[in-house]
Amino acid sequence: MRKKLLSMLLVGAMASSFVACGQPNTANTESGNASSGDGTATSSVTLLNGKPEIDAQLQDLAALYKEETGNELIVQTIGGDTNASDELKKMKAAGNMPDIFVIEANQASSWDGLLADLAGESWTDKTEFELVDDSMGTIGFPYTVEATALGYNADVLTAAGIDPSTLTSPAAYKEAFETLDSKKDELGLKAVLGWCAEPSNLGWSSGTHVFAQYLDAGLAADDTTYIDLLNDGGQVDHDRMLAFAEFVGMMNQYSDPDLLVDGTYDEQVAGFKAGEYAFITQGNWCVTSPDDVDFECGFAPYAFEDGIDTIIAGPPSYWVAYSEGNVDGAKAFFDWCAGDSAQNILVNDAGLVSPFDDCQYEAVNPFYSSMKSYIDAGKFSGWHTMLKKDGLQNQTCQVFADYAQGKLDAESFTTTMEQVIADYYAN
Amino acid sequence: MGEFSAKRKIFSFGTMIIGIALMVAGLFMAITLTDFLGIRGELIIAGCILFFVGLYFFPTLKHHRGIINFMFLFPLLFAFVVTVIFPLFIGIGYSFTDWDGITVNKGVGFGNYQRMFGEAQFMWSVLITFLFVIINIILVNLVAFLLALLCTSKLKGLGFFRAAYFVPNLIGGIVLGYIWQFIFSKVITEILNSQASMLVETKTAFIGIVMVYVWQYAGYIMLIYITGLNTVPGDIIEASSIDGANALQTLFKIKIPMIAPTITICTFLTLTSAFKQFDVNLSLTNGTGSVTFMGKYLSKGTSMLAHNIYETAFVNNEYAYGEAKAVFFFIVLAIVSIIQVRVSNKREVEL
Repeated sequence: MRKKLLSMLLVGAMASSFVACGQPNTANTESGNASSGDGTATSSVTLLNGKPEIDAQLQDLAALYKEETGNELIVQTIGGDTNASDELKKMKAAGNMPDIFVIEANQASSWDGLLADLAGESWTDKTEFELVDDSMGTIGFPYTVEATALGYNADVLTAAGIDPSTLTSPAAYKEAFETLDSKKDELGLKAVLGWCAEPSNLGWSSGTHVFAQYLDAGLAADDTTYIDLLNDGGQVDHDRMLAFAEFVGMMNQYSDPDLLVDGTYDEQVAGFKAGEYAFITQGNWCVTSPDDVDFECGFAPYAFEDGIDTIIAGPPSYWVAYSEGNVDGAKAFFDWCAGDSAQNILVNDAGLVSPFDDCQYEAVNPFYSSMKSYIDAGKFSGWHTMLKKDGLQNQTCQVFADYAQGKLDAESFTTTMEQVIADYYAN
Repeated sequence: MGEFSAKRKIFSFGTMIIGIALMVAGLFMAITLTDFLGIRGELIIAGCILFFVGLYFFPTLKHHRGIINFMFLFPLLFAFVVTVIFPLFIGIGYSFTDWDGITVNKGVGFGNYQRMFGEAQFMWSVLITFLFVIINIILVNLVAFLLALLCTSKLKGLGFFRAAYFVPNLIGGIVLGYIWQFIFSKVITEILNSQASMLVETKTAFIGIVMVYVWQYAGYIMLIYITGLNTVPGDIIEASSIDGANALQTLFKIKIPMIAPTITICTFLTLTSAFKQFDVNLSLTNGTGSVTFMGKYLSKGTSMLAHNIYETAFVNNEYAYGEAKAVFFFIVLAIVSIIQVRVSNKREVEL
């Protein structure tokens, strides 16, 4: 009898452990239902943010949104990695999608049919940077603009007697690099260029951003010639790639040898901030505050062919509305977010560059005035590098690294690049 | 069956049927998303409890013990099935589709498997993984065994040495990779006064991974060898020394044969863990390093199997293709492990 009692007790304990395990699940179900089922559709939206560095400012934004409109914005931030797509896939599988989330342009096709068309919203008239997809319509809300080109230290260039506006041909660059190289000691430079082709941690820089110059430099923002060629089975324009290769070869020659082959992003940026490099191969994200540098910053084009005079500027990622989520709430938020009070937080507190024409705030970013002059003059190209096949940068960055190590020359760099890209697309 | 009352039979079958009905209702709500009251979880749990109560009172004497055993094993079995068996089969299912992590558009049959064997990069990964495994089985076991011999001798400060050799194993592989990356690219280049670190070249980078792996894993295997060596009976060693065996003879004729089971365990452990090497690979080189293989320039010369699968699925966003590679990986690992255990068991029996 006692044995029986004991076994009953144990079975009871087991059953109660089931109940205990089940509890949080049921709680989730209830709250999930409450938010989608009680008819207050426009009141609460969730936003999945992929930039952990601006999480605090987005929380402020949410507070202000609630104060001004009474609607609620819940900001969830994915930490560490800018690639939120893995997390989103888990959320999709769990049926727990946010109403607004961040995507890069080439991820749009995998969300085909799941993104709301935002065409006709009033903010679309105030910007030229929204993401438009052929089949899905206007899907992406631009929340920031980033630019990449050859960042320069204007004070050093002035001291060396170089006018950055003349840097629009390979010959002009050659002369400028030679001049700077000969005056290194006098200008306090360690090397002319802070360019790093290390592949394992900085592969995104060479494989995506520097490679972007091959795709877009000198082209109008909506010109997709080379990205279309690339996405058509991995074709490469041989002559353009060769010219690009020769320019990269010159960069290899004048870069800091300690940095070039196995440097890090931190060393590269620290060197530029300390005034040791006249040029840096990064974008406006590498120096975000005027306090970081005691010199003027600007952008010069990657002029690997005569007459190239554009920088790459645009939103590297977008906020999109999930079509099965709270679309009206998302639209209302986007509309408010393009307005003055929201832009104030995004520009002045978060340090972003506004994509909207009527924004009255000047970004604090030291590269901003240079960026703005290119954008105002229409001399900017698109971020079409974000449309290349996923993971291509991890293949091409090694070719840049081998070139930097001297294993390849311009011609073999070009043919290797062609082979690697074609193989990657063919597979 | 006469000893059970009709009442008990009705109670038992009744509760079981109600339990099943409640669970089915709960699951139906979960699948069709028609759970308006938010009670599907309660329904499933209540149904589960009722079912087990009914099962406990099942009118049988012959199988009563079996039912009790089943009830106690059920939670574990259930967890095992849900977390291991289901994902395995779902994964195999996905490998026949074009799943990109979001939607499945169509089935591709054996397309992913065919594609895998035509991909030079993947075949290279398979090749260097086997190379890595062979080198590591030898090196890790050799180093670990020598360390274990040291740590079972009569040196001073043995406790310190044991701990010191074991500590690398306590540091996570990712951290370890970054620490060694710093050592290779900053410290060693400074000492040797060379321009580029050994991680830049594929061959030397591969050696670097092997070094870090041996450094990390040998301490752990050493502990197992120490336990093995301590189980060798002292009287046998004493007898051998009385018979005039020198240290080497004691080692090869007494100690090593006596710890054959330990060697089996250790080779097995190193084999599987070397196959699954991922974290050091990721953080130390991230698979980089160029190599020419099958007439093609490959960018990921140090990317081993697990890393290659990770990159395919999560970096290149080809989940189904990565899944197919993972299934292949599973099969290879299963075959190698089974052969290895069989061979080792045979040898032990012969001893």
